[in-house]
Amino acid sequence: MENAIEIRGLRKEYKGFALDDVTFDVPRGYIMGLIGPNGAGKTTVIKLIMNLIRRQAGEVRVFGLDNIRHESEVKAKIGFVYDVPRFPEDLRLGTIASAVSGFYGKWDDRRFRGLMEEFELSPRRVFKKLSHGMKMKFSLALALAHDADLILMDEPTAGLDPAFRFELLTKLRALIQDERKTVLFSSHITSDLERVADFVTFIHKGRIVFSEAKDDILDSWGVVRAAGDSLRPTDVPEARGARRSEHSLEVLTSDLAAARRSAIPNAVFDKASLEDIMFFISKGNAHA
Amino acid sequence: MLKLLRLEYLFNVRQLLIILAIFSLYFAYAVNRVESPGVFIVTTSLMVGLGIPFAIMGREDKFKTAALLCSLPVRRSTVVLSKFAATWAAILLGLGYNVFLTAVLPFSKIPLGGVLSVKNLLVSLFLMSMLFAVILPFTIRFGFVGIIILLTGCQLLGIVTLLLGQLLGGAGIPLRLFFRAVERGLKFLLHHQATTGFLLVLAAGIIAVNLLAILVSRALYARRDL
Repeated sequence: MENAIEIRGLRKEYKGFALDDVTFDVPRGYIMGLIGPNGAGKTTVIKLIMNLIRRQAGEVRVFGLDNIRHESEVKAKIGFVYDVPRFPEDLRLGTIASAVSGFYGKWDDRRFRGLMEEFELSPRRVFKKLSHGMKMKFSLALALAHDADLILMDEPTAGLDPAFRFELLTKLRALIQDERKTVLFSSHITSDLERVADFVTFIHKGRIVFSEAKDDILDSWGVVRAAGDSLRPTDVPEARGARRSEHSLEVLTSDLAAARRSAIPNAVFDKASLEDIMFFISKGNAHA
Repeated sequence: MLKLLRLEYLFNVRQLLIILAIFSLYFAYAVNRVESPGVFIVTTSLMVGLGIPFAIMGREDKFKTAALLCSLPVRRSTVVLSKFAATWAAILLGLGYNVFLTAVLPFSKIPLGGVLSVKNLLVSLFLMSMLFAVILPFTIRFGFVGIIILLTGCQLLGIVTLLLGQLLGGAGIPLRLFFRAVERGLKFLLHHQATTGFLLVLAAGIIAVNLLAILVSRALYARRDL
């Protein structure tokens, strides 16, 4: 499978936080969700791909090109949507688009106007007068108007109401189906990923927990539940986290089939959702 | 780089016009008061040359558009070059505007020929290069806060120098020496004969100072996390 992004051994250290040895691939023509709790390192990874922050080690290749050595070629292929759009707030949308369009050889003004109409945005509107959702739509219109091969979005659905989120995700899905684009977007809203992502990379405390096809994750990960003290986390194969309540213990496993085969008495086996996985690993007693 | 200059213009055209309108009033006052073409051109160009780039960079800090610039398909080194180019465009705009006002205002005491002399233009550009060589790298690396850091650093350095002077029994002498050296340097530049050698040294100085400032700024900007 051809990769749109290849990340190897990426490292970035801040005071009190380190992104360490981050390695994963984003296959071309698919949607990958970068998931993790707040402060896990999702934005740092996206900023490192865009070379907005300086990496301390590792390598990022976008369509086979190093993102620093071939910075302008790489960025010409990316449509980037920030978590908080960074445009001068007192300008009209048309002025911002006019200033940005000159940088992209493949800018399609007819497509941009079509997207603006589709998103019900007028080029005469002033950026600061837009709601957060409208700002995100404008950023997306800019990102899509230059026929980018890779759409990179940092928390695009955060702060949006469910209707806006659904519309945005539908748009992303259509983009993949119609044009074979690649999308990498970060989110802590697991339901968004379950709805559209083909692959999921889970990051926690600056380290990659897994990076796999979503369907494989949802098939293989599970939660084992048992009442009382009959279950110990060590009884469950591939235990990755546990949560004890007053009357029961729940254990997250990355190999539900093996857990089922281990014949744990009085246990209930369920498939884990992405939300379960995120919760157990970030809030429960995580097991490496 | 032209695309970046166009973007800066489109993003800041309103501020550009406001600054020129405000400075027009001061210039109209200055052409009637100041009699030395050299002093006039240096001070007024410096005001426009400082006013416009810092208004642009202030907005860049306010709206965090540095991240937008660096997400566009341009190299960081080109972004730095464009900032220098924008600054010099502002300086040249200031110079042009000065010449225009000197020529059209009926109460101007400044002879147009004095403003347009090669020596006055080069002295003016040299002094601005020296100033920007110190200020721009700080601003490019740290944003508008860089200016505050620089000014606060200079204040603290002055205080420390004064205190050391008091303690060592020569209150104010180092500062006095510094200011006298600056004064002598300015007088030397303004009153030196416009010989070919002097003009060539000035031109070489302008190029060297700017190249050095660009190299330092590029190295600093490459380290900036946005």
